[in-house]
Amino acid sequence: MFARFAVVIAAVVLGGTALSAQQSLSPSPDASRPPAAPVSAHSPRNASYAITVRLDPGSRTLNGEELLTWRNTSRFTASTLQFHLYYNAWRNSRSTWMRDSVSSDPSAARRPEADWAWIDVTSLRVIQRGALPADIISQAKYTAPDDGNDDDRTVMEVPLARPVGPGETVNVQIAWSSRVPRAFSRTGTIGDYYFVAQWFPKIGVLEDTGWNTHQFHAATEFFADFGTYDVRLTVPRGWVVGASGVERERRDEPDGATTTHHYVQDDVHDFAWAASPHFIERRATFADAGLPGVDIRLLLQPEHAGQADRHFAAARAALKHYGQWFGPYPYGHLTIVDPAWQSGTSGMEYPTLISAESRWLTPADENIPEGVVIHETGHQFWYGLVATNEFEHAWMDEGFSTYATARVTEQALRPTYYTKRYFGGFIPWVFRNLPVNRIIEGDRLPTYRRAASGDPQSTPTWRAFAATAGGISYGKTALWMHTLERMVGWPVQQRILATYFSRWTFRHPKPDDFFAVVNEVTGRDFTWFFDQVYRGSGVFDYSVAALRSEPNTARGYFGEGAGRRFMAAEGAPTEYVTTVVARRLGDGIFPVDVRVVLENREEIRWHWDGRDRARTFRVVKPSRASFAQVDPERVLVLDVNSTNNSASLAPRTAGAARKWSLTWLVWLQDHLLTYGFFV
Amino acid sequence: MPVMSAFRDGARRVRGAPMVLAGLFGVTLLIGLPLSYVLRGMLAAHLGVSLAADTAAAGTNYEWWQEFSAQASGLGKTFVPSIVGFGAVLDNLQGILDNLPLATAVVGVTAAWLIVWSFLTGGVIDRLARGRRTRSHGFFAACGMHFWRLLRLGALAWAAYGFLFRYVHGWIFSGILGLLTRDVTVERTAFAYRAAGYLLFGTLLIACNVVFDYARVRLVVEDRRSAIGALLAAGRFIRRHAAGVVGLYALNAIAFFLLIGLYALVAPRTPGGRLSTAAMLGIGEAYIIARLFLKLLFYASETALFQAALAHAAYTAAPAVVWPDSPAAESIANADGSPAS
Repeated sequence: MFARFAVVIAAVVLGGTALSAQQSLSPSPDASRPPAAPVSAHSPRNASYAITVRLDPGSRTLNGEELLTWRNTSRFTASTLQFHLYYNAWRNSRSTWMRDSVSSDPSAARRPEADWAWIDVTSLRVIQRGALPADIISQAKYTAPDDGNDDDRTVMEVPLARPVGPGETVNVQIAWSSRVPRAFSRTGTIGDYYFVAQWFPKIGVLEDTGWNTHQFHAATEFFADFGTYDVRLTVPRGWVVGASGVERERRDEPDGATTTHHYVQDDVHDFAWAASPHFIERRATFADAGLPGVDIRLLLQPEHAGQADRHFAAARAALKHYGQWFGPYPYGHLTIVDPAWQSGTSGMEYPTLISAESRWLTPADENIPEGVVIHETGHQFWYGLVATNEFEHAWMDEGFSTYATARVTEQALRPTYYTKRYFGGFIPWVFRNLPVNRIIEGDRLPTYRRAASGDPQSTPTWRAFAATAGGISYGKTALWMHTLERMVGWPVQQRILATYFSRWTFRHPKPDDFFAVVNEVTGRDFTWFFDQVYRGSGVFDYSVAALRSEPNTARGYFGEGAGRRFMAAEGAPTEYVTTVVARRLGDGIFPVDVRVVLENREEIRWHWDGRDRARTFRVVKPSRASFAQVDPERVLVLDVNSTNNSASLAPRTAGAARKWSLTWLVWLQDHLLTYGFFV
Repeated sequence: MPVMSAFRDGARRVRGAPMVLAGLFGVTLLIGLPLSYVLRGMLAAHLGVSLAADTAAAGTNYEWWQEFSAQASGLGKTFVPSIVGFGAVLDNLQGILDNLPLATAVVGVTAAWLIVWSFLTGGVIDRLARGRRTRSHGFFAACGMHFWRLLRLGALAWAAYGFLFRYVHGWIFSGILGLLTRDVTVERTAFAYRAAGYLLFGTLLIACNVVFDYARVRLVVEDRRSAIGALLAAGRFIRRHAAGVVGLYALNAIAFFLLIGLYALVAPRTPGGRLSTAAMLGIGEAYIIARLFLKLLFYASETALFQAALAHAAYTAAPAVVWPDSPAAESIANADGSPAS
């Protein structure tokens, strides 16, 4: 064991060149494009790993050793070290992840024996000045800071013989073995396809208040510090490997059966890899004036061989727009893994590596694989570079990426349509009468609508109610970001995002950090808005409750004394009194415009602060009203019911209802005839 | 009788019974229109006086549809985007082949349809078997005469189909296919397995369907009272004429797939867009009529094949003479062959 550690240490000391012997690989950058931006100056690199790991597909195990170099960047003195052991989430059904999962999917705990996984740390030595590197694994204990679950083994804590003060560094040698799961939580294997993520003992994040090392929960992802990853992956010879970073070297082992792939990446906070003998490798480059170039490596499933261009086009669109809007993607390379069918590993992001999603039959009018590629590429910015705490604030990466995906999709892709998959989900049918738009498909309004009254977004994600967590993290954020965009305008919104990105790249911002940037860039105080969309769970729903437009006459007694007379229509019949009653049906308060359009096309507009439950607006004009709208420009994208946002004095309700009920009638008749098969 | 002749003869018989076709079409409307009217009320209530109604009337308002679906209950839950055009056919075929649960709101109407159809089957087969007009009283007399027998046969069919869907479907698609595809990483391979599953299940379903079809034919044409007897007789007939039965079923199935293929091409995708509501409805209803024609063609051609195979090939039972047939006709029918005195 020590011999292997020595090799690892030597590798670190020698800058990763000690094991370079046979094949030296280097990316082949396109000379015509700008080089990748230098990034080394930015990241604190306080959690760096040198890892060697061997995959044994026969037993589906990983045997690894790592040398962690960790620097305490907090003001807190660490007397212990805490590590994530994510694979133990699937050790047995008593883990917190499993307990979370079975509440929504009881079958998770009934999966066959072959699916389960574990990770055991077999040796752990802390190398500190003045202290012998004794193996202290026997002193390790599992801790459950979130829920006190004694059976959960996803967080391990070891005591330090000597505390690590602020600014001090400690090296830790760890050996472990693990069994790769049949995919849980988008990591694992099926057949000879491996997507290996959250696979090594990984140190938590020490903050000024102590360790931030959450247990693994079913609805959360991850949080880690930046560092350099120097990883040697030994896999069966002939397998294609994709990983975070750049492959520096590939060496066939003397055993004649395996090959070691050496990957290195600076300034990232995680490392994932994929391996399979079946991947088809494709390469392309991204080049755009003013942005650093990116080598894109695509590992495709053979049955998707014809879809390479769609993946590349989506990745290029994302890198271009995100680069122009937020800031440059600095790494110079991106690996896209096209997962094996039913691997359960699609749509996941890791630094410089993403998993996409595609299908054997995927019409050009369907937003697969493009949507997933754009979304996961967005995570390179919101998660990879701006490294928020996904355990606590999943909306800060998922919501931002959803918002950004919707915007890129709208700007860069051809229109897509509602597509339903039939017969086991294999056969797609595109409904070309149903184009999907940014709000519905991109911002996921239908998903949010179901979750609208769920947890406030400020609820730490790991505590959020699982059934509504997705709608709140993804949909609500995208919708309020879109609302904010419509409030301040895209140029200002773009400056907000660019400022936030440049300020917090390679750091761990919290929600208030983003809100501060919004207030700073706009010069306005949006606390009222974030109080509602972030700290509250109020639902926004404004409506036009009534619209009347009648001749400006009155009925009753008019005049005084002897002149008092009853009049059926006193006043000016050539004028019309138009009355609009706007209502606030939800708890959410938002300033909105109310607009009336007259039959002569004249438009009257009022601004309403939206606070009262109802407000009546009245105008006298020579023309009769045609229709009225509340929030006519649809600034409040969060409004869960836009149908009631308008009222017309000549609605085509009857025609619409007749047409669609008759369309449905044909469906019903076909249904009856289909069941007529049995008689 | 060659298969093609039976098929052609069946088509001729169906063409010769336009009122039966029209009547059955009317039944689908009678059953469907009230529900359609209820749905119309739901849609109108949700649209209110909003401008969303304008876009929904002029074309498709997907966003309104989403909002409607979010609050819909009962019948409204069946108003989903995939009802449009050919999606309706795919939805319904998938419902059968994938054994999807029937929407609660249409369970009742489906059951009513099956019972009504069971009632009408006696009259329909009787009419097609005779190949001549039986008039409404003759038609309904046959319906009434055979109803309880067909209902008993329907109970047997229910048990057989129930077994197929309750157990066999699960064995094939969850059990066998689950095992075969659990570790498959190539979608095409998995689809091939599923297609094989459909083929296997479809074969069982069709086998069951063929037996019950011929049982109905024998029950009506031979005026059998025993449903079990008709079922056994159908089995014997199929065994003796397996090639003809299979060939004829295949011809009918091809006609069915040609029809839905054609509908896939012409089914309106944007009702109310460039296509008027009337045209959309016209194409949809023409398709429904064609489906009904094919349903009758199955019965008619199977009846023709059966009748052609009988030793007394031209035999069909004489209709009972009832009012308003003329007294003369009744006298002739009652005559025992001796000349009138």
